[in-house]
Amino acid sequence: MPRRFGLSFSLYSPRLLSCASLVLMLGGFGYMSFSPISAEDKPPIEKSSIIVFKVPSGLPEIIHPADNPITPEKVALGAQLYFDPRLSSDGKVSCASCHDPAKGWSNGEAVATGVNGLKGGRSAPTVLNTAFQVFQFWDGRMNTLEEQALGPIQNPIEMNMTLPEVVKRLNGIPGYKSQFQKVFKTDVTSEGIGKAIAAFERTVLSGDSPYDRFTAGDAKALSPAAERGRDLFFGAARCSSCHSGPNFTDNAFHNIGIGMHHKEPDHGRYASSKLEGDKGAFKTPTLRDIARSAPYMHDGSLKTLEEVVAHYNKGGFPNEYLDEEIFPLKLTKEQIADLVTFMKEGLSSSKYPDVKPPKLP
Amino acid sequence: MIFKNAWLVAVSASLMCAVGFAAEPKTTVVADGIDNPSGLAVQQSTGDIFVAAHTGVYRLVLGAKPTLHKEVGDFATDIYGKGPKYNIGPLGVGMLGDDHLIVADGSNPDEKEVVLVMPVGKAAPKAPHTAKDAAFVLGPIKAGKDSAKGEGNYYGVAVGHHAIFITCNGDDTKGWIAKSELKEHKPGELKPFIATKLATNVDAPVGITFSPDSKHLVVSQMGEMNVPNDSLLTTYNPDDGKSIKIWKTGLHDIAGLAYSPKTGKLYVVDFAWVKTSEGGLFELTVEGDKVTATKVLSLDKPTSLTFGKDGHLYITEFGTSKDNKPAGKIIRVDADL
Repeated sequence: MPRRFGLSFSLYSPRLLSCASLVLMLGGFGYMSFSPISAEDKPPIEKSSIIVFKVPSGLPEIIHPADNPITPEKVALGAQLYFDPRLSSDGKVSCASCHDPAKGWSNGEAVATGVNGLKGGRSAPTVLNTAFQVFQFWDGRMNTLEEQALGPIQNPIEMNMTLPEVVKRLNGIPGYKSQFQKVFKTDVTSEGIGKAIAAFERTVLSGDSPYDRFTAGDAKALSPAAERGRDLFFGAARCSSCHSGPNFTDNAFHNIGIGMHHKEPDHGRYASSKLEGDKGAFKTPTLRDIARSAPYMHDGSLKTLEEVVAHYNKGGFPNEYLDEEIFPLKLTKEQIADLVTFMKEGLSSSKYPDVKPPKLP
Repeated sequence: MIFKNAWLVAVSASLMCAVGFAAEPKTTVVADGIDNPSGLAVQQSTGDIFVAAHTGVYRLVLGAKPTLHKEVGDFATDIYGKGPKYNIGPLGVGMLGDDHLIVADGSNPDEKEVVLVMPVGKAAPKAPHTAKDAAFVLGPIKAGKDSAKGEGNYYGVAVGHHAIFITCNGDDTKGWIAKSELKEHKPGELKPFIATKLATNVDAPVGITFSPDSKHLVVSQMGEMNVPNDSLLTTYNPDDGKSIKIWKTGLHDIAGLAYSPKTGKLYVVDFAWVKTSEGGLFELTVEGDKVTATKVLSLDKPTSLTFGKDGHLYITEFGTSKDNKPAGKIIRVDADL
């Protein structure tokens, strides 16, 4: 059963929201539904309301920051900003360019491509279920989605803007200015941009997969091969050492050997933690809807899930900092196939959030 | 061996702070220069405290001038962490009655690791015992269906009326607490018993003790080393292993827990791997679904704690080594806790 929870809307919802207005505002997000509780439940004096936001089954409740409560207007604004290439210096790169809903909320390439065709050094991580992440970016250098959203805008090889430039540009677009006034009671600010995009991203959820239904008691939700793969995933293949919990990640950093053969390898987490043991360690990504976001690993160096499993099966790439959970697994060809089937079939959501670009102001 | 700095009184700087800040209680270093101490157990008849450290298990004889004597030696060395790295040997200790010491070893590779049950007298032996003198050897738990590469890094020890419980850190998909049933005071085979990772989705059961009424096993889940604030407090039924309650503590890496015999209050030590400056001794207050952690004392990489026969709390800490000299200490908290 879908999990439901209430959200307080005291700041941004001066009137009781109607179902119709929410559906209108959220246009393309068919996978997501908001519905108001009855007027009787609303405090009669305070102008506030509670809405109910469906989280797909198998996922925990979403914790919204106290200073960034979710409202439909804010989510709609965040979606526009997310898809708007005017946030980049050449007007061609939006968040969605590298985190494309049609490509697993990544970009289908080994690394991201920013303004003027410049290539980044790492694969574009999926936006799916970032609502549950403790750390943002492959190296976890930021904690919140609000902070993260402003990073690529300012990165010279991604969107290449300064925050004052982007704020000035958006304030020149009446549709944005009026929405910011409505949502934040201010003109466009960089803080508001971060908050709106983060609020939108917290609605990009992947759950209610065959695995979730199987776990909930539907014995036929997984095919026999996927069920065998599930047993391997949580057993002999040891995937759940790191890909654990409802979002299939321990939210931690591990060195699995990827890229460590380079003369000067990307040190990942070490750059910000400065802990020697974090050299070459990268954040464990979610595996939900993993079939959609190839290629894999922080450098996009593995094209298929079969290649990924082969990497682990041989014990990763040995190096001084290799995680102790990585060692040769001795899986057979049949076991590898079952494991991949589990990830492809078992972890695909029933209602993938294939959000279409909204109309921009 | 008498420590040069024994009875060095550490007065917390916070005593000098403005009114409004809770002063840290006075502490006394009762032993120092120990190489990575990580476990404590009290022999009730003598009041001596056994200390597990990298180089062996020691007997701390308290008194005007505390002395430390090697009780069990000849362990191998394993390394914990990828940087910082710590040399480790036996990690945890516990008492089986008054005359047997349980040594949870971490000095060997997974699958070869064992738990020793050593006979002990009322004073240290003339020459340290070795594993050969063990009355019982529990384990190893070899690679198999329950544990893909075998179990190891045994750490926490809890002894009940009917069984010994040991926290293990081998198979990270399971996070086992192993159990050895006691029959006529003899420990039976050490078997994987509670898969804490499956119960909590968080790694590494480490600290373990019984609730004051002996009904529940109380276990700390240390969590990921490089993730802050993910440590859990959990309880299990010791008979069937079922999870009873899971609390988020907001602490980083709880390595040990102990109830005050006087007040029943629960104290824990947080190693705080990524932010060692935030580590220390905390009191955990449980109210329904909520746990509140209140810092009692700042400590430098604390690893275990126990209440002595004298009622005082004793804590091991790794400390920070200079010139590669062992920097571990045993600290006594002089206040009533």
